[in-house]
Amino acid sequence: MIQLQLKVDPIPIVEPLVVRLRTSLPGSSTTTSDHDARMVSHDTETADFDVNGFSLRVHTRHYKSLDGDVVLVVPGRGTLHRLIRASSNHNTLLITEQCDQKCIMCSQPPKKYHTDMFDQFLQAVALAPTSATIGLSGGEPFLHKARLLEFLRKSQSARPDIRFHILTNGQHFEPSDEASFKSLNMASILWGVPIYAADRSIHDRIVAKQGAFEILERNLALLAKAGAVLELRTVVLNANITELEELANHLTRNLRFAHVWAIMQLENIGYARMNWDAEFCDTSKEFDGIATAVDLALARGLRTKLYNFPLCTVPRAYREYCTLSISDWKQKFLSTCDDCRLRSSCTGFFEWYPENRGFSEIRAQ
Amino acid sequence: MKVWPLQFRKLDENDFLFSDDAGAFFRSSEAFLTRYVENQLSESDSAFLRRGGHAFDDIGDPAFVGFASRWTQRINSATPLGYVILVPTLRCNLMCDYCQVSRAAETAKGFDWDETKLAQVLALLDRQSTAEIKIEFQGGEPLLRLDLLEAVRTFCRRKFAISEFVVCTNLQDVSEDAWRFLEAEDTFVSTSFDGTSKLHQTQRTKTATAHEQFNANLDAALHRIGPARVSALPTLDPSDPPEPTDVIAAFAARGFGSIFLRRVNYQGFARKKYGLDRSHQEWTDYYRRFVRALISHNATAENTIEEYYLSHTLRRILQGGHHNHVDLRNPNWLGVDYLVVDFDGRLYPTDEARMVSRVGQIDLSIGSLNAGLDKERISLFNLHASNFDDPDCVHCVYKPYCGLDLIDDLSRYGRIDIPSHQTEHCRSHMDLFDFAFELLYSDDPNVHKSIASWLQVARYSPMLAQRHS
Repeated sequence: MIQLQLKVDPIPIVEPLVVRLRTSLPGSSTTTSDHDARMVSHDTETADFDVNGFSLRVHTRHYKSLDGDVVLVVPGRGTLHRLIRASSNHNTLLITEQCDQKCIMCSQPPKKYHTDMFDQFLQAVALAPTSATIGLSGGEPFLHKARLLEFLRKSQSARPDIRFHILTNGQHFEPSDEASFKSLNMASILWGVPIYAADRSIHDRIVAKQGAFEILERNLALLAKAGAVLELRTVVLNANITELEELANHLTRNLRFAHVWAIMQLENIGYARMNWDAEFCDTSKEFDGIATAVDLALARGLRTKLYNFPLCTVPRAYREYCTLSISDWKQKFLSTCDDCRLRSSCTGFFEWYPENRGFSEIRAQ
Repeated sequence: MKVWPLQFRKLDENDFLFSDDAGAFFRSSEAFLTRYVENQLSESDSAFLRRGGHAFDDIGDPAFVGFASRWTQRINSATPLGYVILVPTLRCNLMCDYCQVSRAAETAKGFDWDETKLAQVLALLDRQSTAEIKIEFQGGEPLLRLDLLEAVRTFCRRKFAISEFVVCTNLQDVSEDAWRFLEAEDTFVSTSFDGTSKLHQTQRTKTATAHEQFNANLDAALHRIGPARVSALPTLDPSDPPEPTDVIAAFAARGFGSIFLRRVNYQGFARKKYGLDRSHQEWTDYYRRFVRALISHNATAENTIEEYYLSHTLRRILQGGHHNHVDLRNPNWLGVDYLVVDFDGRLYPTDEARMVSRVGQIDLSIGSLNAGLDKERISLFNLHASNFDDPDCVHCVYKPYCGLDLIDDLSRYGRIDIPSHQTEHCRSHMDLFDFAFELLYSDDPNVHKSIASWLQVARYSPMLAQRHS
């Protein structure tokens, strides 16, 4: 598992520090910034970086893998956070842990308190590799709408090459936000918004918020009118597996402006770990609920993808819709996968996937 | 609840087909039609119409926006020039019975672009600000002027971020240099193969030697370039067409996945030889027989085959979008995103327009390399580009999937104000849509298998064929 946090020797700072680590000296053509921390020495256990004159010691055995990483060090803590890993396509900034929904499969259950890190995130974006895609997630990022919109505007003006993938529950938009959206470059933002069923009562029950579906529908229309590129996300649960075909009908009729529909398998962490036995749907045994939804959505021209599905759990005819969706830092393979010839094109499993309570049909192909 | 206007068409004794302007459709009864017309919708009618996206409550509500977005997807918005047909030479090394547009003998003089024309073509391409371009080389036989093809391709690869090239060749004489040209990843081959060897020789190659040469070259093309970048189109005579199973077997044997059935287009030399087209019904019957044979073939075949225009029609019905075929889009803008440059430097809105003009029937050119595009003529064409306000189309159940074809109307009737339902374009498309819906509502699993493969999805969904009682 790739480490997202590394131990550092505490440094005397009063403000959170955002720097870009450089383990190899950039050539003359590479621009450097005041926020570049160059490695000055290393041994097998540590690497020392020069941060504008003082020394930052990072405990790592793989210093080379840190080159180009944008990292955050918080005052008084002995930890460094790898905010943007230069070698990865899976970088996400956690905007807040607060949320107004309590989805039964939430992988990041809400917390009460919020620390505003937008200034640090803006700095991180400025240092990110060229044309990187950066995820913005939560909690619900738009609980801090004014600050988030300001962050997006400033980020886009400083780094027009950066693309954002925002995960939002779509509960916090107003018609008056349309102007703000239109002032953004909407073409470089992908909006990931969950919808669990076409039946409002089922959706509301899953997100544990009365009236959520009605607000969601209204706000999806609002996003569409503002030119948002939409990714509708549906986690498969026992609570909605029989509803997916009807959801496909609803999406292709009323939300056909969506760019893509992602049907997602469950991640066994957070609330989902608690509700796993009740809600995990063994689609390796019975795939038809998904198949009928995919059949209808694709025939009506809605791009449809399967996230977090190991290839051997999916019938052959639907494998082309699977994507490498599990982030590198939380992806694993099982011992069964050692001999599988599809391994390199398979998304694998979440680090915390429980083998004894998971898919019944896992077979090397 | 407000219901979007529904168009309808009687299908049989019991059933009508209904569609709204955004293309959502369903089958229902005369009883429902009566309730709809008399504004007496039942609870279950309302629930059904809501669920199908046929209704909304308030302007701007989610159902309204959903409908609007689907409607928008069916509109072919005018886009910058992205598809150019070039005719570098009119000379040809074959003399087919129904040559699409007059041709010149292989040795004739004055039927090729000269240096000035080539420079003008490149200058025209250079003026485009788009990132993508598709070039189709037509003729005559374009491979007779490989040097001009090379010049255009080299220029486009440098000028545009993405460029693709289609060479429409008879594959009669292919030099080693020509093979190397055709083998490039960004280059596609489109050839004619009239369904069976016998027919192809009768209509095109004539002699056994020439035919053998074509056969060997078609095999070589599939071998060297691969079936993904080679397509073959049959041109058939409706009054004496080949047995569908023979054509399908011949295409299957070569590994083709797509057949675009075309009947002889009575233009060019062909119109003089065959006279006016009186074979509408013959062709409709044959087309249906052919598709039924395809469905039987696909029932057991490992690699299924489509009839291109039917697949295209089904995609337009079910998905909207798919504005890439100039015979079927709405509005059908002429002289905007698509342009033909003839061997003599004249510009045309479509290849059909070039043919009609060449036989001297009516001049449908829209300018020349020397004088540039004639904006006035283009505006005239585009006054009648859409079926939105065509009095014969507004109540048609197939309106959301269809479009006008002005060039076809002009070529057949010399005018554009013939009532639409009397035009060949309308009649043949009514037949086609009737057939497509018949297939969509079929209960035959073999039909379902074919539809799924034509739509490139895993399985046919019965939800596509909505019914309401």
